[in-house]
Amino acid sequence: MTGGYELDVSTREDVPAWLVYGTPVLTVLGALAVSGVALLALGVDPVGAYETMFVGTLTTEFGVSQTLLRAVPLVLTGLAVYLPLRAGLWNIGAEGQLYLGAIVGTWIGLNVDAPGVVLVPLACLGGAVAGGLWGLIPGLLRARRGVNEIIVTLMLTFVGVELAGYLVRGPMRGGQGNFPVSAVLPDAAQLPSLGPVHVGVVVALLATVAIRLLVGQTVTGYEITVTGSNPDAAERAGVDVEWVYVFVLVAGGALAGLAGAIEIMGIQERLRPDFSPGYGFTAIPVALLGRNGAFRVLLAGLFFAVLVVGGSSMELAYDVPAALVEVIQALVILFLITAEFFKRYRISVESVDRTTPAAPEGT
Amino acid sequence: MVGLAAGIIDATVRAATPLILASLGEIISERGGVLNLGVEGMMLVGALCGFATTFTTGSPWIGFAVGTLAGAAMATIHAVLCISLKADQVISGVMLTLLGTGLTTYFGQEWVSKSIDGFETVAVPVVGDALVGLPLVGPALFENTPTDYLALALVPAVGYLLFRTSLGLEITAVGENPEAADTMGVPVFAVRYLCVILGGAFAGAAGAHLSLAFSKLWVTGMTAGRGWIAIALVIFAQWRPWRALVGAYLFGGIEAFVLRSQALDPTVTGIPLAETIDGVVSLLLRPQVMSMYPYLATVVVLVLATRRVLDEQVGAPSALLDNYSRETE
Repeated sequence: MTGGYELDVSTREDVPAWLVYGTPVLTVLGALAVSGVALLALGVDPVGAYETMFVGTLTTEFGVSQTLLRAVPLVLTGLAVYLPLRAGLWNIGAEGQLYLGAIVGTWIGLNVDAPGVVLVPLACLGGAVAGGLWGLIPGLLRARRGVNEIIVTLMLTFVGVELAGYLVRGPMRGGQGNFPVSAVLPDAAQLPSLGPVHVGVVVALLATVAIRLLVGQTVTGYEITVTGSNPDAAERAGVDVEWVYVFVLVAGGALAGLAGAIEIMGIQERLRPDFSPGYGFTAIPVALLGRNGAFRVLLAGLFFAVLVVGGSSMELAYDVPAALVEVIQALVILFLITAEFFKRYRISVESVDRTTPAAPEGT
Repeated sequence: MVGLAAGIIDATVRAATPLILASLGEIISERGGVLNLGVEGMMLVGALCGFATTFTTGSPWIGFAVGTLAGAAMATIHAVLCISLKADQVISGVMLTLLGTGLTTYFGQEWVSKSIDGFETVAVPVVGDALVGLPLVGPALFENTPTDYLALALVPAVGYLLFRTSLGLEITAVGENPEAADTMGVPVFAVRYLCVILGGAFAGAAGAHLSLAFSKLWVTGMTAGRGWIAIALVIFAQWRPWRALVGAYLFGGIEAFVLRSQALDPTVTGIPLAETIDGVVSLLLRPQVMSMYPYLATVVVLVLATRRVLDEQVGAPSALLDNYSRETE
């Protein structure tokens, strides 16, 4: 060998602006382009399918209201992942916290006799407390014992899902026949509607603003960010890192629990063991796409809601499985983390001459 | 009662096989320092590719091989992202599960409700024919599909690889302290690639076993959470192949028991508090309650293991989740 080329990877000192703002857009377009190949594989015209998916969804009142309704649990659980992520923790158990909130929200709705003005906020609060307690377990274990929160939040998700499955077959069973569902909520426990959507849309918006203010304007938010960038330095600077860890997981759990209660009272009207199509897992790409701010989480939640709603109309119109939406979600993450690499590192090709060994010292 | 017990034992052995295969793979990957949360996705891809190949070629062995390779191919994505591109292992793994679930649901539709012959059960050579007649455990131990035996054979094989070979030492070194391993001349990146891809191959094999030997069908989402159980099992087994085998039988036993637990409703009488004990026992034996045990057990073991790690005893690979990059001058 006389010579050749070598890839040189070096850390970027600052990221060019076009890369920062272009990344989310380019990743989404890239994911759609690759998924277009999957559409072609089943003999479907991708352009027409995407037109149904996006134009059809965003230009009809039905499509827009469905998107907003779907976005509520996605934004709330997205925030539930986003807040711990600010502190450097992964809450991949938003799904379980969502289930806990749904369970307690349903129970309150069925068993407390009160007018709607009292009952709905009470059930929301109950759901948030339940989700928060589900987040307290990994929070305390992480803070006090150093136990990995990724595994604990994940394991508790499955415990929460099984718990709902047990309850609707046992103590909370209320369906006719042998169906594993709870009784239908009374009218007082239905979320008030705002035209074609329910009041949960406002709650999700307020939650986003609240988290934005918490992270950006408060001492706690500052401590969370400092902990996320370097826990050791935060500790030395006097931040109570243990408290931050417990706080973010409890607050995240509460947001997801709130989402569960809202989903039951606003859409489902009764607890089913499989009521969630994996909102808490979709929350992870939502939080990742929006990891730089609460309002971006809101946008990402809306985007994934469009995908889900558009995906089902595409399924109807073209007879392609709506599972393509999951593929698109996965590809968005895939391209996003690839782009992350190019943001952090600069790649250049350098020619190297392999025949000459490195010059010895002193020459 | 004997029939029921024999049925549960047989079902336990059958339910354990995919858990053994998938958790062995995850042990290799994690011992090399890379957590892969994509087991569920890799298993699904392995199951569908294995099924489609077997349906087309008629040979379950070719199907099994293709399923294994498909799992390895999925893992290669994770390897490139986490090892070369230094992506977050958690997010990449979740992506892999999403991708596998989505792709197999999307492309799997045309394979639903088709059937194959798959792997037939065979008796263990030489002694099998004589021992199959044993009460209780005969069929469970001596009459299984080839992939059941393969999974059992891989337990000591992986144990040998990890603890008795120099490659195994290198894997441990790379998982515990990649900087030191690099200094000693261990090719950190190559070893990690190998671990992750091998782990994916095992997960693909676990999935292919499900569709070719366990159910002989392709059903959307047929892994039904077994990939997550396998990840739990690795922690439960504290990253040791033999303990994973024991754990797979425990968790597989729960799965087998859950399907049959309606048949069992023990009642206690004649002792104080009989009614309370009865209530508690029947609550603890409810199928959905029993399904929680593997996850709760994993949390308990993780808490205990974490304390032991603090006491400087062996537990999780120290560099798990840490992507390695060489310092550049």
